[in-house]
Amino acid sequence: MTPERFSRMLTEFFGDAAVFADKGGAQWEVHAPRDRCLPLLSFCRDHSFVHLAFISAVDWIAENQIELVYHLWSYEHRVHLLVKTRLEREKPWMFTAHRIWGHAQPYEQEIHEMMGVFFIGNPDLSPLFLHNWKDKPPLRKDFDSRAYSLKAYTLEGLGLVPPADKEDANVPS
Amino acid sequence: MEDAVLFNLRDEKQSAWENVLNYFRKRSMWMLYYCTGCGAIELPPSMTSRYDMERFGMGPMATPRQADLLLITGYLSVKTLKRVIYSYEQMQDPKYVVGFGSCPINGGIYWDAYPVINHLELFLPVDMSIAGCMPRPQAVLDAFQKLMDEIQAGKAVGYKRYRRHYDWYKRNQDAVLARTQAVLEPWEDPFSDPALVESLWKDAPAEIRERQEERHDA
Repeated sequence: MTPERFSRMLTEFFGDAAVFADKGGAQWEVHAPRDRCLPLLSFCRDHSFVHLAFISAVDWIAENQIELVYHLWSYEHRVHLLVKTRLEREKPWMFTAHRIWGHAQPYEQEIHEMMGVFFIGNPDLSPLFLHNWKDKPPLRKDFDSRAYSLKAYTLEGLGLVPPADKEDANVPS
Repeated sequence: MEDAVLFNLRDEKQSAWENVLNYFRKRSMWMLYYCTGCGAIELPPSMTSRYDMERFGMGPMATPRQADLLLITGYLSVKTLKRVIYSYEQMQDPKYVVGFGSCPINGGIYWDAYPVINHLELFLPVDMSIAGCMPRPQAVLDAFQKLMDEIQAGKAVGYKRYRRHYDWYKRNQDAVLARTQAVLEPWEDPFSDPALVESLWKDAPAEIRERQEERHDA
């Protein structure tokens, strides 16, 4: 399949909603709004892009948006397809893709934990990696990792004092 | 933290009998290596024929209850710290902790990372630290020999320190593990509001909606 042909097919099915770009090096890109993204993913799956390699999220803080990137791969045509969609940053939400690819579930769970994107229909969005996390999602650009680390893990930040070493303590062995 | 050494390495009171015990303790050390980070890769060459730590009377042990030496090989995330403390408290006295690489000393390259603790010493008594990222097997064996000397001299008494200052260590552990409020600023998840989530469900594609109803029925 040539990029021109895939681009034509996209225009036929999605009109102006899907914007196609050939990035070169067997990498193609499709931008779509949120409400057309799930049908677009199904469409790609049915047109040889059967492998979902990864879902990533990018925080575009200046534009006040969070971008989801679905990395798809076609074994048949040996093409890497990026499906991108932009969400508003205050309340980022998206429909789950785990009905299309079952293994999208943990990717979405991780994005929810690290970026705060809510996935409608995902059966389990409980924390995967962080222990007892109460701050904002840590991979947002406005999260200050250094300030957090200094406050959370150092003696001064924890407000603790070194222990008094009792000279006369006789420790039974 | 200006000074990494929190405690005086002052000799604990040792009886003559304990000096005899120490002689035997240093010659039979079984180590539990907690492979949290990248440092574990240096241990197979240290253990096997190239460097062969068995000639010093050391060997690997699979469970904490039979081990004397706890090796923290690399960075420790908060989630792992909890498990390391469990493992350490299961070990029987005498027990020694070796911080392996720069990460348990001061955080190493993860010093400003949000999930990784910076100073292992705040949470567990460290008897020996091996600097380096990562230390080569020579450095590891050198550290073990120094640790043996310290055991013989009665200086490696981290387990007694842990017992004596248990409240201090526990307070530090709880400050990190049992956090009750946000560190920088509290975060209110907008999707904790059920009405908002309910309103978003209305636009959900039929497939997701149907499956969700099935799930509710089940």
